[in-house]
Amino acid sequence: MGTILEVQELTKYFGGLGAVRNVSFTLNEGEMLGIIGPNGAGKTTLFNLLTGFLKPSGGKIIFKKESIAGLKPYDIVNKGIARTFQIVRPFHQLTALENVEISCLSQRGMGKGRKREEIEEKTMKFLESVGLSGKEGMLAKDLPHGDLKRLEMARALATEPELLLLDEPFAGLGLKEISSLSPLIQKLSQEGHSIMIIEHKLRELMKLVKRVITLHFGEKIADGTPEELSRNEKVIQAYLGKGGSALATG
Amino acid sequence: MPRQENRSVFTSERIGLLIVLAILSFIPFYIKDRAIVELIILANIYAVYVASWDILCGYTGQVNFGHALFVGGGAYAAGLLNFYFKVPPWLTIFIGGGVAALFGLIIGTPCLRLRGPYFALATFAAAAVPYGLTDVYWEITGGLDGLYGISPIWPTLTGKYYFSLLLTVLCCGIVYAGGRSNRGLILKSIREDEIGAMASGINTTRYKLVAFVVSGFFAGVAGAFYSHNQLHVGPETLSVNLSILVMIMSVVGGIGTITGPICGAYLLTIFNEMLREWEELRLLIYTAIVVLMLIFVPKGIVPALTDGILRLFKKRKGG
Repeated sequence: MGTILEVQELTKYFGGLGAVRNVSFTLNEGEMLGIIGPNGAGKTTLFNLLTGFLKPSGGKIIFKKESIAGLKPYDIVNKGIARTFQIVRPFHQLTALENVEISCLSQRGMGKGRKREEIEEKTMKFLESVGLSGKEGMLAKDLPHGDLKRLEMARALATEPELLLLDEPFAGLGLKEISSLSPLIQKLSQEGHSIMIIEHKLRELMKLVKRVITLHFGEKIADGTPEELSRNEKVIQAYLGKGGSALATG
Repeated sequence: MPRQENRSVFTSERIGLLIVLAILSFIPFYIKDRAIVELIILANIYAVYVASWDILCGYTGQVNFGHALFVGGGAYAAGLLNFYFKVPPWLTIFIGGGVAALFGLIIGTPCLRLRGPYFALATFAAAAVPYGLTDVYWEITGGLDGLYGISPIWPTLTGKYYFSLLLTVLCCGIVYAGGRSNRGLILKSIREDEIGAMASGINTTRYKLVAFVVSGFFAGVAGAFYSHNQLHVGPETLSVNLSILVMIMSVVGGIGTITGPICGAYLLTIFNEMLREWEELRLLIYTAIVVLMLIFVPKGIVPALTDGILRLFKKRKGG
């Protein structure tokens, strides 16, 4: 399998503060990669850089052999990278169906110029795939938090991405909701999507991924399997703690 | 039927619109008072002003405080062309729309980089400049008095009325259909959350700019018609008061619905005229009623009514 994403010496400074510093890694096609680290480590900033919501201060982002650093967020989506947000961003006054239709109408979603029925049919497939069928007519503001997480995932999937960035998909969810969302992420991976997940719920994350990157103060301090990370002194000190290392191995 | 406009109440909304259109179509037959027909022509023009404001502000959430720039741009383009070069009104109306659309492109390109109050202030300032220029170049524009002697659009009142109605139906119809199309849905997503729309792969800047240009075009067409209707073009078409009036009409009717602002335009134009009997208290009563409406019906009249009808339908179904 080839490399889908290559990040080289990626750096972001806010004034004098280095939020992301010289971070380099690669992601293979179809791979699922976890990103962990304490609050303020630069995880979401990294996602914002990869998806164009922030311009890097330095470094390169190569997606499918093409540099995408500094492109606009919608251009990056249309190249095949979609994301979800840590705090969900639904279009509150639109229905679940309309929320997903927007993505279908994007350039990559190929909805432009198509008949409305065709777009609705396509949208329904995405809603069904995340378990939201039957709720398509509900306004997003009336959906519970767990459903909003699913809706956000459907919106990202409707842009037909090759790389999916999930920012804390389990945040704010109970065990029951996590246990129903987790197989969905696994299914997406099996379907061939390359996935990066930021997550603090390590037990759930480690069940999904085979490789994890740890960030601390904007720097990459470790890159390896969950087992390797659980033995890594730097990771234990910065994030896991002595008791926490057990979580990393499930 | 998950698209909101497909709900039964919106089908009733369309039936309601057809009834209103039928009533408006027969006005010259049962209203013989010239002043009332003139008033409804004015309301028709205001309906286009507010519908064009709503496609930008109600749908994308970009509050334009300088809509008069488009109205006045269209009015002056039509007025000057007709006055100095005798360009016929049917042509100046389209040219007026084109000039206003061009203003939309020129002003929109830098202004749409701004957000919230900064955008509002920039549009406010952009409209103030041409207002001042009409005085600076008074030899051409007629200064504060404006230019008199613009050709009428139609020699008879009935003809003028139907022309205004046709223009209103065309302009508002296109804006209404646009608002309910896929593009309208995209504009709504920008209003809801621009970052979310970008994350869905939408080039939000392009859509906002197109909305700005389209808004300008229709406001310009209506402004051009206004100058031929009044047989005069003056700086009042570029004034802040006009921009604010358009916003009040939209808010009272219900921003982001197209039909709401149009209703607001008819109601407030007629209401304002009814208050003419109490000239000294007119502004006070008008302001008080608008403020009370904003307090008690903040979503606007049309959304409040449609919500009420929806609730009634649900109750009936439940019962």
